[in-house]
Amino acid sequence: MNSLLTIFLGMVLINNFILSKFLGLCPFFGVSKKLTNAISMGTAVTLVMVIASVATSIIHKYILIPYDVEFMNIIIYILVIAALVQIVEIVIKRTNITLYNALGIYLPLITTNCAVLGVTLINAQNNYSLMQSIISALGGGLGFTLILIIMSAIREKNELADTPKSMRGLPIAFIIASLLSLAFMGFNGLL
Amino acid sequence: MWIPILILTAIGIVCGILIWVTNRTLPPEPASLQKAEEVSEKLPGMNCGACGFPGCFAYAQALAKDKNVFFSNTCTTVLQNQKMLDDLEKSLDLQIDKDSMNKKAVVSCTGNCENIGTYLGVGSCKSANKILRGFKKCPYGCLGLGDCIKVCPQKAISIDIDRKIAVIDVSKCIGCGLCVKECPRKIIKLVPADAKVVFLCSYEGLKNIPGRGKCDFGCIRCRKCVKACENGAITWNEAKSIPEIDYSKCDSCGACIEACPNNVLEKLTDIHIRPKPAPKKK
Repeated sequence: MNSLLTIFLGMVLINNFILSKFLGLCPFFGVSKKLTNAISMGTAVTLVMVIASVATSIIHKYILIPYDVEFMNIIIYILVIAALVQIVEIVIKRTNITLYNALGIYLPLITTNCAVLGVTLINAQNNYSLMQSIISALGGGLGFTLILIIMSAIREKNELADTPKSMRGLPIAFIIASLLSLAFMGFNGLL
Repeated sequence: MWIPILILTAIGIVCGILIWVTNRTLPPEPASLQKAEEVSEKLPGMNCGACGFPGCFAYAQALAKDKNVFFSNTCTTVLQNQKMLDDLEKSLDLQIDKDSMNKKAVVSCTGNCENIGTYLGVGSCKSANKILRGFKKCPYGCLGLGDCIKVCPQKAISIDIDRKIAVIDVSKCIGCGLCVKECPRKIIKLVPADAKVVFLCSYEGLKNIPGRGKCDFGCIRCRKCVKACENGAITWNEAKSIPEIDYSKCDSCGACIEACPNNVLEKLTDIHIRPKPAPKKK
């Protein structure tokens, strides 16, 4: 139980995908302009991460290890994640229109998100069990959402500030991101 | 060597079958969504938000639910394009009278208004307008700080440096009305796209605001245009003390444009290429 908590906290705060692993940076800068968009994106990423890590950890345990083809994990995971996202999109579209409208374009977009692939590869690298993979994916997704929300809140405030003209937009966003990253380094000694 | 190839192929095939199975077994998507997708193909897809919906797909969903939304929240980009309009009419079974709905935005100010002080605050019309009703002599003059430029989806608005006001390029304007809502002084007006004459002053003479006056380039209330018009299209609005043009009666003869001593009446198509008026001597 202790190790599950360790994995979860480690993924949310210490090994945060955006700020210390530098994965999933495109949505981090692309979707963090508005709080509502950030929340939609974060929810979608968390959902896909959990589903993908369930599927890939089963494949890892029952197909890749017995046949000794672990070197193929990247290409197989990409295939599985892409198919899964398609299936999830179809299911949501047919059953729940409200949710489909809320997630909007973000669901198909994260098919190619490296954070989703990253979490499955980390699970495989550390030989996590099914439960551990789910917790680690949940932590990764929530950490991603947390950073997206913090970043969008800062950027919404920053829109109102009198930024020098040459720094407006992305340059100041990069600086904010690096400061955030430095702040999150403080969690390093937590566990 | 064959095992990895077989595994990859097998997983690919299994994934494909899974997608096919979910596609078949689930109930078909709701009819409203199908129709919305069909409608959204007919929309411009610019996601400008001028119709008041968050993006073209949301607009398509609203249209699919109730086609009369088109009349309350008109997509002006579709109105400008005959082919798009025909497609949308066909798919929604609508009767759209293009001429009566098509609009163009006009900044009703001739410019050149004197400043009563130097404004060094935040560079937006909204903030400038909050301080003593703006820094121009005329409380109805365009401040020229360009709040409207930021919201224009067509980039049709620019600042005329000679006259220090915003001007709208009529050929680019799609009449979406976003700038009308944005202007804190409410001097951008929508006119029918086939209008020939526009009135470029918003000064309401009867609202006496202490310390402020009309600039030298605005309407001088001579009422020559009312007399010049042979069709009775121009009437004098006593409440606001400005002329009003009834576009349904106007036959675009241009008599009022010539009659106006201060060039406040202008051809709609010539607004953004107007020559700089010579400063008057007092």
